[in-house]
Amino acid sequence: MSRRLLYLLPLLTLALMAGFFAWSLLIGRDPAAIGSVVVGRPAPPLNIPALQEGQAPLTDALFKSGKPVLVNFFASWCAPCLAEHPLFMRLKEREGAIVIGIAWKNKRDEALAWLKRLGNPFQTAGLDLEGKAGLDWGLSGVPETYAVDGNGIVRLHFRGPLIERDLTDSVIPFLKGNTP
Amino acid sequence: MLELVLALLSAATVGVLLIPLLGSRFDAKSRFEGELGIYRDQLAEIERERTNGILAESEAAAARTEVERRILAAADQAAAVPSSKPPSTLHKVLPPGLALAVPLLALGLYLQLGHPGLPSAPFARGSAPAEEPHMDIARLVVEARARATEHPDDPEAQAALGEALTLEADGTVTQPALEAFNKALQRNPGDPRTLYYLGLHQAQSGDSAAALARWRDLLTKYPDAPFAPGLRAEIERVARAAGVDPGLPPAPTGPSREQQDTMAKLSPAERQQAIRGMVEGLAERLKENPQDRAGWLRLANAWKVLGENANAVDAYVHADSLAPVDARQLADWAEAYVRQLKPGDPPPPAAVAVLERLEKAEPRNGLALFYLGAASFASGDKQAAARRWKALLSRLPPDAPIREMLEQRIKEAEAK
Repeated sequence: MSRRLLYLLPLLTLALMAGFFAWSLLIGRDPAAIGSVVVGRPAPPLNIPALQEGQAPLTDALFKSGKPVLVNFFASWCAPCLAEHPLFMRLKEREGAIVIGIAWKNKRDEALAWLKRLGNPFQTAGLDLEGKAGLDWGLSGVPETYAVDGNGIVRLHFRGPLIERDLTDSVIPFLKGNTP
Repeated sequence: MLELVLALLSAATVGVLLIPLLGSRFDAKSRFEGELGIYRDQLAEIERERTNGILAESEAAAARTEVERRILAAADQAAAVPSSKPPSTLHKVLPPGLALAVPLLALGLYLQLGHPGLPSAPFARGSAPAEEPHMDIARLVVEARARATEHPDDPEAQAALGEALTLEADGTVTQPALEAFNKALQRNPGDPRTLYYLGLHQAQSGDSAAALARWRDLLTKYPDAPFAPGLRAEIERVARAAGVDPGLPPAPTGPSREQQDTMAKLSPAERQQAIRGMVEGLAERLKENPQDRAGWLRLANAWKVLGENANAVDAYVHADSLAPVDARQLADWAEAYVRQLKPGDPPPPAAVAVLERLEKAEPRNGLALFYLGAASFASGDKQAAARRWKALLSRLPPDAPIREMLEQRIKEAEAK
């Protein structure tokens, strides 16, 4: 008899898995939210060459100015980066934000041409051709944006392109000094 | 054709499955009987060899005992297997039933969800160039940039450059495009194209509220423009993304889906008749509700398309009395007037009034220049006629067919 019950095991497993999947789907969790290891900690070390040849390399000193800084990893081959680009132009021009751009796994010439074509929202831009800085920052892809406060602590981390709601709900309050 | 092949394949597969299922099946009993046959043969063999003297008596007895022992073991085994009872009906029916049900179910689903009548799309057509010539955006940008550099003060050239740069960036209004549009706006503050793209830039840079306000203004100003449906869709899209109410004015009612379908089935003459009937219906409704300015403009356009220019003029007069019409509508209105003229006739005073308004709105409008010239000529103001016609002549392409006639008339105007 116990042999027979054993045959029910696959069915039971299936029911369990289906139940788990249904629960995961219906709980209303954002499947894109995978958390971030850097939020609440000092900004990871940064030491990369400047995108514009002949300019000083980008280092941690950028986060010690006492002002909040946005760090945006982008690439010219990335379509969502194009979609969020006007938002950074606006942040720079209307909110006076300091935005640091990092061209991730992107050839220097292509990234520069991209910025020339679209407009350059970055105060300084660096080149992370090998993606090593991306590893330090816990990057999963581009575009991703980090908000670093005046003390060099990462406060916000956006995976994926920024949208209007991110700006009004988090980024602009953050720049105004209201750390969420 | 493909359907037939697939049906044959399915039928063959099901057939292969069904043949053994419907045939007789082994059970323990028949197996035991088969074994028994073998042992019977072996016993006969031993007996034969004993009589022929190949086997000794004692050896034959040992071999016989061995075979008998095996027979007993096989009988025990057959008795131990419980399935000696005949298989139940369920076991008999279920496998062939399933083998038939799966393809039948698939067929039913396909008829429900699929489109058996859909023509196939051959690979050759997919890889062939599209019917429309492919727009070479890079060339478009180069040309637009050249024109904008050549005419830095022409709002049209600047707006075209902005549009080209936006197309180049897959629909993102880039910083250089924005600069071009701002230049265009300075020279021509009401240009709908510039206003649309500036709104798009606002939407893309996270200011949906400003974009929506700008676009709603634009839509209120041009409720019947050809771009109005597209603009509506854009307003709805941006409003949905921002999670706000689009606040759209109600759309002008066009023919319904069913009406369009019926129209498509009619012969050209019948269709013309049906269109005329609809336009007359609109005219009737407007008689009852004469305050509907958009309705009058729609009616004017419909009459003009049908060639009823006098009716079109009448509808434009109604629309204009509610609120002055814009330059594009003035041009249509004036055209409806002059289409009623015999060649060479000067336009009547009412038409001259409309043409003068058109000339004021668009000083370089060819229609206004030509017919106001004719009116000036008829009223004796030859100088004004020659000035207008010369202005028109300078704007005509070198191979325009009316050039010769125009030069002739300028000569006449200057001679007397």
